[in-house]
Amino acid sequence: MPQYAMVIDLQRCVGCGGCSVACRNENNVPDGIYWSNKITETVGTFPDVRFHYLPTLCNHCENAPCVRGCPTGAMHKLSNGITMHDPDKCIGCKYCEFNCPYGVIYFNWRSPHPFWRHTEPLIEGGTFSPSEVTQKAGGKAIPYYNPDREETQPGIRPKGVVEKCTFCDHRVQKKLLPYCVEACPADARIFGDISDPKSKVSKLLGKFKPFRLKEHLGTNPRVFYIRGYDPAHYEASKGGYK
Amino acid sequence: MNGKKASYAIWLGVLGACILAGLYTTITLFREGHWLFAANDVVVWTLPLGMYIFLALSSSGLAMLSALPTLFGMERLAPSSKRLVFLALATLCGAFVAIALEIGNIWSMIYFIISPNLASPIWWMGALYTAELLFLAVKLGCLYAGDRQSALNKTAGSLSFLCAMAAPMVLGAVFGTTESRAVYFGPMHSIFYLVMALFSGTALFLLHTVICHRLKTGRFSPYRPAVDEVFYRLFAWSAGAAIVITGVKSAVAASTVIPEFMAHRTLNTPFGSLFGFPLEAIVGLVVPFALIMSPAVRKTTTGTLATALIAWAGSLVIHMKILINGQRFPVGPKAEQFPDIVTYAPSPWEWLVALFAISVMLLLYTLGERYLNLGTDGAVTR
Repeated sequence: MPQYAMVIDLQRCVGCGGCSVACRNENNVPDGIYWSNKITETVGTFPDVRFHYLPTLCNHCENAPCVRGCPTGAMHKLSNGITMHDPDKCIGCKYCEFNCPYGVIYFNWRSPHPFWRHTEPLIEGGTFSPSEVTQKAGGKAIPYYNPDREETQPGIRPKGVVEKCTFCDHRVQKKLLPYCVEACPADARIFGDISDPKSKVSKLLGKFKPFRLKEHLGTNPRVFYIRGYDPAHYEASKGGYK
Repeated sequence: MNGKKASYAIWLGVLGACILAGLYTTITLFREGHWLFAANDVVVWTLPLGMYIFLALSSSGLAMLSALPTLFGMERLAPSSKRLVFLALATLCGAFVAIALEIGNIWSMIYFIISPNLASPIWWMGALYTAELLFLAVKLGCLYAGDRQSALNKTAGSLSFLCAMAAPMVLGAVFGTTESRAVYFGPMHSIFYLVMALFSGTALFLLHTVICHRLKTGRFSPYRPAVDEVFYRLFAWSAGAAIVITGVKSAVAASTVIPEFMAHRTLNTPFGSLFGFPLEAIVGLVVPFALIMSPAVRKTTTGTLATALIAWAGSLVIHMKILINGQRFPVGPKAEQFPDIVTYAPSPWEWLVALFAISVMLLLYTLGERYLNLGTDGAVTR
């Protein structure tokens, strides 16, 4: 059984957010919820200032605190290493969200996509209402609904349960790449079987020293970052004195 | 209708109105979702969960007290047995109301039974509190049957006591075992909850006893009703232990260089602190401890009432502050969508949930005192 992992090349990542947009489309992710996200940080004082951009997603930890804490097994590990969530089993206690050290689990506080259920047109007699747009586009709940998501999970998760990235398990089982990987214009995301030494992810992890988020917690994330981006040069000096 | 009956009818009317408001809140919550709470993806657990912790711990404390006559041979406390067991049951029912409205998808609770995760502290917490409820119910049934020495009573008494000890510690472990939030103090949180359970349970029993005495006699006697000295001692002991634990926690939080604690030192909280010691702990723990240690206060009804009231209400504030402060910093990428420090004030719907839970508990107390002959030892003789 393959053990899936993702490597994110920070020198290739341009911070365009294409991964997040692609993820929303592929997984019908509601507003306010981010399966694919980022951590940004500005360090220093102008003009000596740097901007850090770190794409984030569920780390699919080997020792996942969300899985350990879930009372009903709704959050569970698949044999291929993916951390999966079953909304049918979820009681909405939010302990996984509370317990996740990476802040990548979100709760559906209300029925998802409320905007697209509105029946009032923006301009009376001039425009369609959001629900009419959805209907005419042939979507289900939203105009851009992706029915493929339904293959392993409800296409849109109901209110009262959590949701998070699944490494696009519905695509992976068809030998397709997760959609954020597919959509990345800079090829900054590499996905594959970490148990196969010949896979691209294994080779990259051998070639470049990777880091993972909050390694000290022992969660063993399956998302690795390589080649931290810092192109700056500075003038040579002798120990900072000359 | 005399004054006493009228007051009773008004009291039942008020509780009925609160419960109706609670039922309306329940329907609205299930229809609309939990966005009605002032919670979000950073502060995910709010007043309803705080109310659950508060009532569940109080219930455990009462269940521990109920073991004194039935399990530990303190026969002189036998007249309090039924009342203690019943209060523990009723308080736990209030706690279950709060938690039922906190969770998002109650319809999937069946998976709690058919798909249990034994590694989950939440599962153990739910299982232990459910077991506590069942064992207490059996114990109460045995007490009503006048059956104090049977194997069934002793078994139910022992198991309910063990559950009452274990459940607060597992509830503490829900917070203490979380990887992402060091400020809940790991295993120390379990010990703290155990001590707070005894403290708030004893406070609630003293409060209940004084109020019942006032209602039965129709006046506040200058001298307190006959409450066994052991309850005062346990109250003082648990207050003292909670003060020491809070002091140690405050000292660690003030001196450690663990980043999470250093960040928490920058928090401005509604209740603040005095020389690094949380103000709500001073009001909710130190003041009751000082009052109960004073013989002049202890021997009066008003003194006992005020002390127990401050202690019980103070413990809710203590739990709420710990619960909320541990969640106010966004974790990881959530800092992109939320402020650096998230503020929280309960929404009206959360207050209604809290009121609902308290009202259910109080209604059960009222009906129990009225119809269940709680103040007697042995079988019902009505």
